[in-house]
Amino acid sequence: MVKTADKIEEEIRAIFSSDTPWVTVVWDDPVNLQTYVVYVFMELFGYSKARATELMLQVHNEGKAIVSTGSREEMEHDVARLHEYGLWATIQRGDQL
Amino acid sequence: MTATEGFSRHGDHSYVATFADSEKEVLLNLCEQIIELLAERQDHGHEDPLAAMVGITSHDSPPEDEVLHRLLPNAYADEVDASEFRRYTESTLRQKKQAHAISMRIHLKSSDDGTIDLDHDNANAWLGGINDIRLALGVRLKVENNSHEDLELLSPDDPLRGVYAVYTWLGWLQETLLSALIDDADEDEESQLGSS
Repeated sequence: MVKTADKIEEEIRAIFSSDTPWVTVVWDDPVNLQTYVVYVFMELFGYSKARATELMLQVHNEGKAIVSTGSREEMEHDVARLHEYGLWATIQRGDQL
Repeated sequence: MTATEGFSRHGDHSYVATFADSEKEVLLNLCEQIIELLAERQDHGHEDPLAAMVGITSHDSPPEDEVLHRLLPNAYADEVDASEFRRYTESTLRQKKQAHAISMRIHLKSSDDGTIDLDHDNANAWLGGINDIRLALGVRLKVENNSHEDLELLSPDDPLRGVYAVYTWLGWLQETLLSALIDDADEDEESQLGSS
């Protein structure tokens, strides 16, 4: 697939504006058990049980939650690990939420 | 043989369950199915061997099969970003998912009396593996649209009734393993606080 010039320009801008954070978003899923989602957040991000539970409830009640913030590379790493454990996660630019 | 009571913690970081022969068969069968399904998506010989070596695949669009699509989802809403990410990462993700199912299969096959004894890392592989099976069954049961009440009311001769029974049993099994693991995590947290 060929990228449009606009797209490339946007990416170059993103690379050089290091202050633009990227985020990992986890989406609600009717299959994953609540306890499982809490455990995965604790295990992958080292969050406390209280913090992990708070994020899980946000996913459940609001349909999604931002679970981590950082560089695009870091977020791609986080999403890959969340996918490994079957959570439904995507990467977004922090300023395009 | 009696039905399993699920996982419980034995000593330090050891999680044990004993399965009846029939339960072991069901689990083995499901693991095989996941392994096969992921293998169907395997990259074929026609691609660049150097690319294959570094994990780049020929796949840049999501799988058409609904179950595979759920197991290997897009990482970006944007299609161009999603295909690029998929090209570089999908084969690793498939391998990791297969590894979870293969780990379950090895434990089940090497247990003569149905007893499975997992350390922390193996427990994580089992959690991920059970979850992939539940995701796959969830797609077949259309849990997105069907409520649990709808699924409870399936008629006895509906083939999905059996699928739903396995799906709920796996959820319960996963829950027993989770509660054993989370008890541990709580204790670790408390002991860290205690020592600071």
